Order: sequence, then C-alpha cells, then structure tokens
Amino acid sequence: MGRELSFLIPELTLASAAMLMLVAEMLRLPRLVLALGLAGLAAATLLTFPVLAADTTVFGGTYRIDLLSGWAKLILLPGTALSLLLARAELAGQEREGSVYALLCLVTLGALMLAGGGDMMLLVLGVVLTGLGSFALVSFPRNDAATEAGMKYLVFGSVAGAIMIYGLSFWFGGIGSTLYSELGLLAGRPLIASIGLLAVIVGLGYKASLVPFHFWAPDAYDGAPVSVAAYLSVITKIAAIFAFAQVLRDLPTSTGWPMVIALLAAATMTLGYVTALVQTNVVRLLAYSSVAQAGYFMLAIVALGVSPLALPAIIVFGAAYVAMNLGAFAVVMVAGRQLDDFGGFGRRRPLIGLSMVVFLLSLTGIPPLFGFIGKAYLFGAAIEAGFLWLAVIAILNSVLALGVYLRIMVPMYAAKAGPASAAPIALPLHVVVWVTLIITLLMGAYAGILPS
Amino acid sequence: MLPLLSITTFLPITAGLILMLWPGQSAKAVHAVSIGVTGLTFFLSLAIWAGGVVPGGFAQVEELDWIPAINAAYRLGVDGLSLPLVLLTTLLFFLSAIYAARLNNKAATFVVLMLMLETASLGSFMALDALLFYVFFEVSLVGMYFMIAGWGHEDRQRAALMFFLYTLLGSLPLLLAILGLYLGSGTFDMRVWIDTPPLTGLAAMLALIAMLFTFAVKIPSFPVHTWLPAAHVQAPTVGSVILAGVMLKFGTYGLVRFSLQMTPEAFTKAGVVILAFGVFSALYGAFAALAQTDLKKMVAYTSINHMGYIVMGVAVAALATDPNIRAVALDGATLQMISHGLVTGALFFLVGMLQDRAHSREMDDFGGLLGRVPWLGWAFILSAFASLGLPGLAHFPAEFQIFLATLQAQPWAIIAILAIVVTAGLYLRSIAKVFLGEPNKKWLAMPDLDRGEKWVIIPLLVLIILIGVAPSILIDLIHITMASMNF
Repeated sequence: MGRELSFLIPELTLASAAMLMLVAEMLRLPRLVLALGLAGLAAATLLTFPVLAADTTVFGGTYRIDLLSGWAKLILLPGTALSLLLARAELAGQEREGSVYALLCLVTLGALMLAGGGDMMLLVLGVVLTGLGSFALVSFPRNDAATEAGMKYLVFGSVAGAIMIYGLSFWFGGIGSTLYSELGLLAGRPLIASIGLLAVIVGLGYKASLVPFHFWAPDAYDGAPVSVAAYLSVITKIAAIFAFAQVLRDLPTSTGWPMVIALLAAATMTLGYVTALVQTNVVRLLAYSSVAQAGYFMLAIVALGVSPLALPAIIVFGAAYVAMNLGAFAVVMVAGRQLDDFGGFGRRRPLIGLSMVVFLLSLTGIPPLFGFIGKAYLFGAAIEAGFLWLAVIAILNSVLALGVYLRIMVPMYAAKAGPASAAPIALPLHVVVWVTLIITLLMGAYAGILPS
Repeated sequence: MLPLLSITTFLPITAGLILMLWPGQSAKAVHAVSIGVTGLTFFLSLAIWAGGVVPGGFAQVEELDWIPAINAAYRLGVDGLSLPLVLLTTLLFFLSAIYAARLNNKAATFVVLMLMLETASLGSFMALDALLFYVFFEVSLVGMYFMIAGWGHEDRQRAALMFFLYTLLGSLPLLLAILGLYLGSGTFDMRVWIDTPPLTGLAAMLALIAMLFTFAVKIPSFPVHTWLPAAHVQAPTVGSVILAGVMLKFGTYGLVRFSLQMTPEAFTKAGVVILAFGVFSALYGAFAALAQTDLKKMVAYTSINHMGYIVMGVAVAALATDPNIRAVALDGATLQMISHGLVTGALFFLVGMLQDRAHSREMDDFGGLLGRVPWLGWAFILSAFASLGLPGLAHFPAEFQIFLATLQAQPWAIIAILAIVVTAGLYLRSIAKVFLGEPNKKWLAMPDLDRGEKWVIIPLLVLIILIGVAPSILIDLIHITMASMNF
C-alpha cells in the first residue's frame, strides 16, 4: 500500500489542495483559493519528476505510472495553473469566484485519472469526474446562454457516458476483467470487440470532441466564460486523447480499430476546419479549430504499437497544443469574442498582436514553432504506420487551417486601428500570454528535452 | 575555430531582434543598422568563400544536438552548390538594405522582416539537416507573406494570400518526403541521405514526386507558376528582388540537393518528364513575357524562362551517362542560378526605380527616356542584354553550358533555344518602347539615378560583366562539387 501511494503523490497533492480550496471558498477567501490552487498545482508538478522515469502499475494494474501518465501530469498541471490565472483575470471579484478555481482543480484530477487509468472502471470514473465539474463550470455565469450551453453539454455528456458504460459491459463480459491489459483476449471476437470499441469512441470521442460527437463544443465554449472554454479546449481534450492511447494500445489491431480511428480523424480535421472557415465569432472559430486539432492527435493514435514515434507524438503535440491554444484564448480575452474586435488589434497592441500571430501560425504548423515539431512527429508516426493517405489529408487540412487562422490575422493588421485601447490588461493575463508565447516560440528549438 | 557559418546565418536575425526589442529609433538609425549588418554578413560570407569547399562532400561543417531522440540536429555546411548561392544571398540583401534606406513607412518592421528573411535564406542553403532545412524554408514563406501584405502595391492582400497558400500547399509535400526519407534511414542528416539514398523503388518515386511538386511551385515551373506574376507585381521592389533573386533558388537548389541527390534512381527514371517540363517552362515563360505590357510582369515571366533552363540542366545531368557532360550540365545550371539572381535582381531594382519616379510600369506610358535618364537607361539596357543571353554577360556562359550538355545528351530538348530568340525580341521591344523613340513630355523632369541608387546598381552590373567574361571565378568553385557528385 505504501509503495502504491508513493507513486500517487502528485494526484494526492492535487486532491488535498482541491479539498483545502473548497474549505477556503466556504470562508469566502477567493485569493486564498487561488493561491492554494497554484501552490498545489506547482507542488504536484514538481512531485511528478521523481516518478517520471517509472514504468509500472499500481493497485492491481488499474492505474498506470508510465511515460504517458507522467507526461500527462507535466502537461496538464501547468496547463491548469495557466487556466486558473486566465479565470482570475476574467472573473476576479465575481461571486463564487473561488468555486471556479476549485472545480478546475477537481476536473484536472479527473483528467489525470483518464490519462493514467489502466482499467475500464477508472475510465468511467474519469469521464464522470471531468464531466460533472465541466458542466458546472460552463454554466457558471448563470445567464441564459451559459445555462443553455451547460444543459446541452450535460445531456450530451450523460448520453455519451451511458453509451460508453453500456458498451464497456460487453468487453467486461467478453474477457471477464475490467483491466485494459486483458483486452488482448478480444482477438478473434470481432463482434464484442467492436461494440466496446464503438462505446469507447462515443465516450472519449465526445470528450475529445471528435466528429461526429463535437456538436456540444462550440455552444459550450461560447456560452461559458472564455477562460473556461480555454480550459475545456485543452485539458479535458488532451486527457481524453491520452485515455484513447491507454485503451487502444492494448486492444488488438486485428479488430480493425486503426482504420476506424483514421476515418474519424480525417472527418474530424476536415469538418472542423471547413466549419471554422465560416465562423464570425472567434470563440466558436477556435472551438471548431480545436475540433480539427483533435483530429490531428488521432494521427498518432492510429500508429500506436506500430510506430515508436506515436507516444512521443501525442506528448509533444499535447504540450504544444496546451501552450498555443491557451495563448490564443488569452488573446481573445484581451481583444474580444467577435471577429470584428480584431480589426486593427495588431496596431493597437503590437506585442499581444504579435503573440497572437505566433500562436495561430503554430496552430497551423509553421516551423520553427512548437506546433510544427508536434505535427512533424504526428505525420511521421502516421506514415510509419502505413497511413500515408491520412498524412496527406492532414497536410491538405493544414492549408485549410492557414485560411482559417488568416481570417483572424489579416484584419489585425489590414484594417485601420479603431479607438486607442482603453482598459489595461490584468497582470495574470500578461503572465499567461508571455509564458505560452515563450513556450510556443522556443520549445521548437529545445524539443530535445521531450521524451522519445 | 569560429563557427563562421552559424554567425553569418544568425547575425541578421539577431540584429533584427535587437531592433524589435528596442523600439522608437528613427528610420535613419534603423536603416544604418540594417546596412551595417547586411554588409557585415556579406563580408562574413566572403570569409566562408575563403574557407573553400572540398570535393565529394561538405566543408566547414558545424553541428549541435537538437532533438537527439529522432536524430535531428543543427547541422550546417557548404559545398560548391550552396556556397555561390550564399554569396548571392548576402550580396542581394546588402544591396536591398541600401535600396530600402529610402523607405519611411514602418521602416523598423520592414527591416526586421528583411533581416529575418536573410537568416531564413542563408539557413536554407547551408542546412545539412532536413528538418532544419524545412524550418528555414517555411520561415522564409512567412517573412515574404508579411512583406508583400504590408508593403506591396494596390492589390497586395490578395497577392500575399495567394502566395502564402500556394507555397504552403507546395511545401507540405516536401515535409512528407522528408519524413519518408527519415523513416527509411532513421536520421535527418542530409549527408547520410546523399551518401546512401534511403528509399528505393516506388517509395523513392513517391518521395520524388512530392519533392518535385514543392520545388516546381518554388522555381516556379509550368503549370504551378501562376502565383509568381501576381506576387511580383504586388510586392515592394525589395521583396521582388529577394523573391526572384534568392527565394526562387530554393526550388532549383532543392531540385539538385534533394531530388537529384537523395532519390537519384527515381530522378533518372523521371528525367525525360522533368526535362520536358523544363523545356516547356522555358518556352512558355518567354512567350508569356512577350505578351506583357507591364515591365515588372514581363521581368517576372522571364524568370520562369530562365529557371526553366536550370531545370533542363539538372534533368540533362541525370539523363547523361558521360560524367563530363553531367558536370558541364550541373555547372551550367548552378551558374545560371547565380546569373539569374544578379541579372533579375538588377532588372527588378531598375523597374522599381522607374516606378518610384513615374508611378507606372506600363511600357506604353514611356518613351525616349534614354536621353532623360542615361544612367537608368543604360543600366537597364545592359541588364536586358545580359538577360537575353548576350555573350560576354552573365547568362551566356551558364546557358551555353546547359545547351552544350543538352545537345549531347538529349538533342531534342534543344528546341528550348527558341526561347532565347523570343526573349531577345521582347527585351528589344521594351527597350525601344521605354528608352528610345519619341520622348514622352510627361517625363521631361524625371531625375536620373541618385548616389544611393548607383551604389545599388553598379556592383550588380560589374558582376554581370565579370561573370560574363571570367565565369571561371565561380565555375572553378562549383566544379569541385559537381565533378565529384555521384548519383
């Protein structure tokens, strides 16, 4: 027991911090809640390093301490810290402000369970834990739009979760165990294997907003506070993708799942960007762009077990995606939600405008930015696994992506500057923009420190 | 030992970053820094020239770890193909910086972009790591996009967008090919790929097709050339000079470095098709240029013609069996890249100077300018004669070698020589319309070149003549590599 718990110190740290945050929130001390959250996340991140090199399981194989779960912590915990700062910049002074911070930390705890889970029960728990917190976060503003968004998200989530649990029961019936590591027994039993696979795709595909389970995302992001949208677009999405990797790498490829995922990936990338092309609301545009980016992640998922580049690809692109997408949302918080708000923005705020250009070019995959390194890994993994056609579709979509992101970039410099910007930018927002900018700019050159 | 290659590559962008982080200086100070830095870079490149190249490989190699997990590293080096291009790049950027000194509209940003482009261009030519090459290659696209979009003429937004989408779509297949070569060899080291081509058979052919697409867009070769006239016409003068003089060379450089050297078997198999595209581009470019009345567009189309000869030279080298002919063809193709950079650079500068004065590029708007602006006129006439391949000027030795090799290896392709007649016709027509004939009264007050402009144009004219009469100063260097190139 002691050994097992010692591997879970980062999770336990975060859980304790979240409990303390709830207590502090009851005392109506939002700044203390924020401080506790940031300290807990920082401590949990640092405590991850001692267990990073481990490759083992705890609690009878149900929880994995491996490369994926280790890097999930190093990506998701700092990402959550940045989200807390975004939330602080947006919601400071509002009632129940502290609850947002506490909920964010709790959802991240669920995200870690998804990323480290080695068991179907843990998968269900992770989906529920991330789901419940997210519903509440989306409806935080308590206006009509937010309530509608939260409601849609809840209904969609409940149905998807129920389908997933139902399908997983087939796998359990087929192999007599809930451990992923036993999934190899499904080889040669295509019917059971595919019902469970379908269920996992519904449950996790909804969380990762894969087409056709993405409909909730634009509405939820648009109704929610921008900081919550930013958080949902990176943390829960990446957790779902890590969970995909944990499940599918144990599922025999003879069940044909790589082809299914590849088709979904192609549809997700294309539909995401095509729909993004016609948006006039930047939050919705970024929502569809994040749908498309989920499709890119799938390039590595299809290569699991075949290409040694697959796991590094998920981790590298995951880290890049957190930085550039959070950065882009942070700039939206400065500029405004509508595309028109970006007219002349680059002239009003040269440095923040320039960072937006960097984030968007990185999302497109232009070198030497971090996003490019991630995409190079993804393309390499897919080609090595024999999915050249998927890599070609991904590459064609990169051109579409440029079209999408240029719709924000061009008005930033083309249009005449509007009124000289009024409100000063909150300090936490500055911190988020600068941190994500530096990571996006420089991690391309220092990609060597990421895992192989 | 100083890492001379890295210093040369990164000096411009370092200066650019300092300018960016230290805003608020006058345009004059910014231009002084830009001229100083590009000048220093030019002298550094001369020092690299003094370091020389070695047969059968790369000289002055510099290496640093980058992503050891996938064997990608920071690797720079030069050979007889890249060194002349490096010299051309630093020279053209130096002259562009001098020319740009008259620009006051957002001067600091413009200079930063120009310095970034110089680093990207030098890095592209010197990179010995395919991933690093791709990084520099794409950065140059972004830089050029912002240069056209920010400082171009009337319809700049559309032209810039077309340029960006076209070349991004064009460059992504190269990434696929690079990944394919990587998966075949386990490293991004271009030297390994050149020594032992990692792909064979169908995989090599697919990689070649992907690369040819990328480089054909960049060169540009028919039928993917349509972005070039739009981009050139809208680009600011400096942008046109850099685009035509330096960035088009990425295409031909890549054609030799990647397509020919890394997938040699497939290239030989596809050689006749590539040659046919080269011949057609050369002819098409000449005839399309003949149909233009806009001077800048005309020069842009002649680029397609001249770059077509380079494609021909490379294809002939692949098809020839005699090693001497191969070397002659590649020597000619490489020299043609330099000649084209100098001559077309000069022509774009001169058209830009004319446009600065008249705000027009239409041939019919002018007439009899030679008496009015003799410096501008004679410089244009000399450059035009060089461009049409007059013996004694820069293009002649290059095109002569290409045609000589073509005649021996693939005689049918010599029909491309027809294009020279067409080019001669179109240049003589433009000279007649703009500089000879009845003087147009509108331009009686047109001033001749000032001192700054002469500083820009004279070095180019001197080099055009020098390479025309003594091509050996470059051929000797180029030949060291080309004579020892196995593919």
